[in-house]
Amino acid sequence: MIRWFFWFLIFSGTAMACESNGQRMVEETQNAPEVHLVVDEILLAQPFSVLVSICNEITVGDIRVDAIMPAHQHGLNYVPEVTALGDGVFRVDQILFHMPGLWQLQIDVEFRGESLSYTSEIELK
Amino acid sequence: MKRWVTAALLAMPGTAHAEVLLSRNEIQQTLSFGPWPPSFQADPSNRVSNNPRAIALGAALFSDPILSVDGAFACASCHDPEQAFTTSEPRAVGRVLLDRNTPTLKNLAGLRWYGWAGKSDSLWAASLHPIIEKREMAHSKESLKDAIVASPYINDFEAIFGDTQNQGADLVLVNIAKTLSSYLETLTTERSQFDDFRDALERGDMAAASNYPDAAQRGLQLFLGRGNCSLCHNGLRFSNNEFHDAGVPYFLSETEVDEGRFGGLNFLLSSAYTLDGDWSDDPAKQGAWAVRSIRRSHSDFGTFRTPSLRDVAETAPYMHDGSLNDLEAVVRHYNEIDVERLHADGEAILSELNLSEQEVSDLVAFLETLSSSP
Repeated sequence: MIRWFFWFLIFSGTAMACESNGQRMVEETQNAPEVHLVVDEILLAQPFSVLVSICNEITVGDIRVDAIMPAHQHGLNYVPEVTALGDGVFRVDQILFHMPGLWQLQIDVEFRGESLSYTSEIELK
Repeated sequence: MKRWVTAALLAMPGTAHAEVLLSRNEIQQTLSFGPWPPSFQADPSNRVSNNPRAIALGAALFSDPILSVDGAFACASCHDPEQAFTTSEPRAVGRVLLDRNTPTLKNLAGLRWYGWAGKSDSLWAASLHPIIEKREMAHSKESLKDAIVASPYINDFEAIFGDTQNQGADLVLVNIAKTLSSYLETLTTERSQFDDFRDALERGDMAAASNYPDAAQRGLQLFLGRGNCSLCHNGLRFSNNEFHDAGVPYFLSETEVDEGRFGGLNFLLSSAYTLDGDWSDDPAKQGAWAVRSIRRSHSDFGTFRTPSLRDVAETAPYMHDGSLNDLEAVVRHYNEIDVERLHADGEAILSELNLSEQEVSDLVAFLETLSSSP
């Protein structure tokens, strides 16, 4: 909880100042706004949370979160819960990786009517 | 692959060399299966969880046919304590032949889902359904309340839950299920030969670890690696407690199919007895997130919950329909799996393993060390 509070303070009112926080997610589109990801501890087959930061002055009201295991051709068994914390920061709860291996976390964000899809790979042992 | 050879044994001429065969990575993976047993945590959705009086009453009710409408059988008739809380029939026999193999009742505390199809999200709900299922105990709520009120258990029951005159039949049913659950939470498997090996690895005591048979170590390597077993059979109970298509036919007869998780979810999502419902005693509704956020898929059809492998050698026959008689048959099933039986749009995990006869034997040897009995 202390950690979440810490991040919330950092991002409060400073959505553009997130470049150095967490892992930058991958998006192929040129000049796409940066999206950063802070992942809490991940335990196999247990729900975990992440913080997503949209580094852009445009207000983003919502994001969509999903994940897949590319090698196994399956995704999540539960729908993650997204909570907007304000200033482009979102907390995502109830992500559950039920198998070890390489997962690809996917986050879709709408900017000016265009949907951009960001990914991060997470290896779970 | 790095191996740790026991120096003490090497120094003894004529002694067979005992080794830890696992790589560093395999040792790290092995540590994730323990330590065993886990610490007990009371179920917040059950106010009599870990209550000694409720546990004693639950144990008595478990073995008493009072919980079936006509006194025909008890919980223990199918979940026989002398047979690892299961029986040897492929499919359970209630009032009729039921659809699935009787699962063991050990190590159930704290799971996310219960039953082969996960139709319950708490142990008390899983204990409740067979009592009122027509093909099993066949009580109505009212007949159950009448039976308890007229039984020798009434004083203990009222000492725990209060006057039954103030309890509707619904509440009596839930309270009985919660006493059963409080008892079932106490049923755990003992430590196994594998646990001793795992703990020795954690201590860095390679001399002790090398007492674990080579065949079991080779089987463990297959379990972690080429066999792909640990993708689903992981964690302290050797189960991710999720649902998978294991390539076992789901036809019950020429005209009936077992819907597996698909049917389990239909049941769960229409049930009043979930962690998100009014019968939970937990104001914080811990654990209810799962039933609220399930993602349904047509590939749920014919999938079944990954069973725990602790004490697995004691719980034959195997698979959701009890169609495989022994552990060797299970290993051969996965070794020669017919991928045509798998969902075309399901997980791409299982394929023929092409294990040699020696490797089949090694994998069985490993599985046998997960049991507490020697």
